[in-house]
Amino acid sequence: MKASRIRGEASAEWRSFLRKPAAVFFTFVFPAILVALFAAVVGAGGGFFEEPQGYYFAGYLAFVVLLTPLSRLSSTVARGRDNRRFEKLATTPLTRAEWLAAHVAVNGALILAASALITLLLVTIGGASLSLTPVSVAVTAAAVVVASAGFCGVGALIGRSVSSQDGAIAVSNGVGFPVLFLSDTFVSPDVLGAGAPAVELLPLTHFSRAVRGVTFAEAGFVVPLAVLAAFSAFFFAAGAYALPWQE
Amino acid sequence: MEQVEADGLRKTYGETVALDGVSLSVEEGEVFALVGPNGAGKTTLVRCLTGTARPTDGEARLLGSPPDETNEARVAVLPQEFSPPERLTPDELVGYYGSLYPDEETRDPDALVDEMGLSKARETRYDDLSGGQKSRLKVAVSLVNDPDVLFLDEPTTGIDPEGREDVWGVVERLAAEGTTVFLTTHYMREVERLADRVALISEGAIVEVGETDAVVRKHAGEPRLVVRTVGPAEEAAETVSSDGAGARVDGDELVFDGVEVDGIGDALDALDAAAIEYDEVRWREPGLEEAYLRLTGER
Repeated sequence: MKASRIRGEASAEWRSFLRKPAAVFFTFVFPAILVALFAAVVGAGGGFFEEPQGYYFAGYLAFVVLLTPLSRLSSTVARGRDNRRFEKLATTPLTRAEWLAAHVAVNGALILAASALITLLLVTIGGASLSLTPVSVAVTAAAVVVASAGFCGVGALIGRSVSSQDGAIAVSNGVGFPVLFLSDTFVSPDVLGAGAPAVELLPLTHFSRAVRGVTFAEAGFVVPLAVLAAFSAFFFAAGAYALPWQE
Repeated sequence: MEQVEADGLRKTYGETVALDGVSLSVEEGEVFALVGPNGAGKTTLVRCLTGTARPTDGEARLLGSPPDETNEARVAVLPQEFSPPERLTPDELVGYYGSLYPDEETRDPDALVDEMGLSKARETRYDDLSGGQKSRLKVAVSLVNDPDVLFLDEPTTGIDPEGREDVWGVVERLAAEGTTVFLTTHYMREVERLADRVALISEGAIVEVGETDAVVRKHAGEPRLVVRTVGPAEEAAETVSSDGAGARVDGDELVFDGVEVDGIGDALDALDAAAIEYDEVRWREPGLEEAYLRLTGER
């Protein structure tokens, strides 16, 4: 991998993103709406949401960590194929892994920023009690970046397999929302009964556990972070391979 | 030296044969045009030659190597219907594509934008450029690595005449500088103006290849003078023929085949001498389009 090429691709993507006001707005407003809604529901107590506010912090982060790369990467890949951008890039020295790494960098930065906003809102408005030490912040940031890399890979796989941008968004949401609620984020796996073991196969489960382990539950984060990294490495490699560099 | 070579290239998609044993070669510094209608196999051939598609059979070579082993810095491709990131400006787009190549291989982005006549639009986003400016910018991003071989896949399809002229001017400049250009198009006028040699492709097969003028001379037929007579064309044809000037009837018109431009006066003198009145005269020199239509049996 060559840093200058990754920087060039990331810089172009970053500039393009900043010039889409709607994309910037919704990237940050959706998580804020989510926090506001759930904070109100959790604050009211009862039902599925009996845990304290801090318990759901990992779920709020999981929302942006999963859905942002899935929808952005899948639509970017579908659009790039329609606009013949990959056909052009395939004849330059840029490699598939470098392209995906550049988009991981951009999406990772966006998700980190959105995560900081969520943290701020949850603590100040939701009144959540979180353990925000240098270690917990560093581990959470690492989990966000590692998970983003993997879900960017999944987004690339979706973008490769659908025929249009609209289809990419639809499939991303169709995959993302069930995964979000099955990944030990807002609903405990105990509630799922016989389906609970399958939760272990979802990378987002390990993201949730790593983040919750350092910010709320004082549990271990090393194993879930390591499992998450393994999942992400696999999906990053698969996503890079799937990019439509060739017919 | 041959810069681009295809040897028996065949590409199939299921039962569909996109390329059927294509062989050709392009010399250094040549502008080579590949002409054919939509679906003839032009884009598939470009993809096989540039490594973005694998041929089912046969071999492609680019700068003497298989396409996927060629030094990318020496080759550039402008794919058909390519559209770069639409919210970036010409400066940013040329800089972006330049950043993908080693520094020593790239041209100065500012100078390239100026050279393409985009100085006044350098701060304008791609989406807001005119059709001609977009076309020139797409060529510009393809020149940022100063390629030895440039593939242009239908670069003027769907743009207005002014934009087409702009692109033609760029290609002419590149040709003058010695860049090898592989151009696909279905505009015959584009070929006649730009190409040293032309290959005609139909249903995945090359039906003729050669110097553009030679292909026209060989396949397009003779120039002809067409006269619309005031009276019956059949009578006029008999009168003229009896005077020794060969003419045939096509509908309600007289046609003199093989009349060069300097023979028009003689033909009209023959009509005047025979007291044949006419109200319209047309002379037409067949071009590449006629050659193509004859070769592909589309007329």
